[in-house]
Amino acid sequence: MRDSDFGLTLAAGKTKYRGKFHGLGYLRYPVALCIGSVLAMILSRNQAHNALFLVLAFSCLGGLFGLLDAPFAAAAQVLVYAGAIMVLFLFAIMMFNLREPAPRERRTLRTFLAAILGLVLFAELAIAAVRAIAPGSVSPGEPDGLAGLGRLLFTDYLYAFEITSLLILAALVGALALAGKKEGG
Amino acid sequence: MGFPPPIPPSVLALAPLLALVAGALLVLLLEAFLKRKDGELPAFVAVFALLASAFFTVVSWNVGNSGVYLHGRLLVDNLALLVTGVLVLAGIAVILMSLKYAAHQDMNLGQLCGLLLLAVAGAMIMVSSSDGLVVFLGLEVLSVASYAMSGLKRQDRASSEAAAKYFLMGSFAGAFFVFGLALVFGTSGSLDLTAGLSAGASLSAFPAAGAVGLGLILTALFFKIAVAPFHMWAPDVYEGAPTPVTVFLTIVPKAAGLAVLLRVLLPLLSGETAAAAVFTPALSVAAVLTMFAGNLAALRQKSVKRMLAYSSIAHAGYLLVAIVAGDAPSLVFYLLVYLFMNGGAFAVLVAMSGRGFERASLGDFAGLGRRHPGLAASLSIFLLSLAGFPPTAGFLAKFYVFGAAVREGHILLAVAAVLASLIAVAYYLKIIVVMYMQDAEAAAAFDRDDPALFLVIFLGLLGVLQLGLWPGNALSLIRAAFNAF
Repeated sequence: MRDSDFGLTLAAGKTKYRGKFHGLGYLRYPVALCIGSVLAMILSRNQAHNALFLVLAFSCLGGLFGLLDAPFAAAAQVLVYAGAIMVLFLFAIMMFNLREPAPRERRTLRTFLAAILGLVLFAELAIAAVRAIAPGSVSPGEPDGLAGLGRLLFTDYLYAFEITSLLILAALVGALALAGKKEGG
Repeated sequence: MGFPPPIPPSVLALAPLLALVAGALLVLLLEAFLKRKDGELPAFVAVFALLASAFFTVVSWNVGNSGVYLHGRLLVDNLALLVTGVLVLAGIAVILMSLKYAAHQDMNLGQLCGLLLLAVAGAMIMVSSSDGLVVFLGLEVLSVASYAMSGLKRQDRASSEAAAKYFLMGSFAGAFFVFGLALVFGTSGSLDLTAGLSAGASLSAFPAAGAVGLGLILTALFFKIAVAPFHMWAPDVYEGAPTPVTVFLTIVPKAAGLAVLLRVLLPLLSGETAAAAVFTPALSVAAVLTMFAGNLAALRQKSVKRMLAYSSIAHAGYLLVAIVAGDAPSLVFYLLVYLFMNGGAFAVLVAMSGRGFERASLGDFAGLGRRHPGLAASLSIFLLSLAGFPPTAGFLAKFYVFGAAVREGHILLAVAAVLASLIAVAYYLKIIVVMYMQDAEAAAAFDRDDPALFLVIFLGLLGVLQLGLWPGNALSLIRAAFNAF
């Protein structure tokens, strides 16, 4: 984001609008799909369906980030949340082999706490959004976008980046050692 | 002077790590493609890689190759080189111990060696950096490899339980570290653990979020070292893991974590700063809790392996005293001595294990003094050293640490440490009494054909006695290393 303070560069058709809230209309369908899938996730009683709806919600969020011209956030959202974390969820559901749906919960303390936490989160996001669009605020954004990120990864953070490969190797070997088939019967 | 290094300094700084990683890859390839699975070739390759790593460390030391490399991510100094030496020695000892043990307990030696090399590499990454991100990645490499290693005895439920427990708790500790690092980065704008913190040495200039972040990072490190409110996982994991892996877990993560703690806290604790006023009492309380929790729980144990597990928790408390005193030489000396005495004591446990089982209960040690006088005498010396009796190195190590605490004015802490050591004498002596004063119900035959293991025990004895009687060389080396620190 070079010059728009909210960090929204909206592409509608062939023309690019830069500004605060102009032309958000085209986002209406992805947002609706996102909210709808989250609602479906909460309301569905089948664990596998819950997880799949959550995948859909994460993918929608990723798509929204992409439409808002934040390609890295979009890719990370899809790869990390929809890809890695949800696969873990699905594996857990598969391993525990949950057949019958979860029992219907009563409105207890937990629901109350969840509502309060939701409100707190909403207030937090609202404050952050108001601060971000306040005049004179600096958008952190991605300074040079993906190219800058790549350059950092292969210069300043090369050592850390290479250690990550070591970490993945250790995890791979460890998983194989713990779960692999026993040698020679 | 001597030979000029044929390799550029930045490559030399990385060379100990590169040797280990290359060795790990070679071991894993051998493991995958070798036809004969029960061979000891992977172990020899692994020991060779560790020796190569030690060689490059010594070369680095000799040419004085200290400095900052790779955009400040890699820091080589005397502390890093000394602790790297300890880590490599521990790795070699663990591999030599597990040659026969792996075959007896149906463990895959190749996997053990590969994971061990990766874990030592992770610990090495941790100690040779002051960058929070790199320290975290090293910690994770070390941890992931350790989780897998503690579950390598696949037929044994306790071993699998140890791996699962360690993995779950360790993941939480890792999350604490990342969250803390994010807070420190958010408030200071720097990933450098030492610079970001010493800049805000006065608490008023130290943002609350940054202090919370530092607290979370310390919590994660305390978990890895098994310091008292965060030590609950340790006894089960240490007991369930295969015995050579227990040796690894009681030495390498502790050494690496303490080195990082020293690096982070030394600038913070020196001087009459407000930060020191908060962290010194907190660390002292943690140290006292650790010493007493470990020693009091060890008193009640029936299994010698579990007793030694609790004893290693208590030793983490003694080591923490050195951090509170801010005395790097006594910390490194204690680590070195601890490597010899703790490794030696567990090596005797390895020697007592048979095909498919371990003898770790107190009753198994009855009459050992008559049947296997050599083993019993070695174990007695290691235990006396752990307890801190004078002719052994354990006494000197404790003496230097507690002396440093008194010198820095932490009299109460030193008194508590001495009291804790007195409690510890009770259970160490209990094992010796059982070995020499009680008769065994059934004489158990041991497999004595394990030269590598007896080499480890012999080297342990040599270390404990040599450092106890003539510590001059090692001490002057360590002191000289920290004069410029």
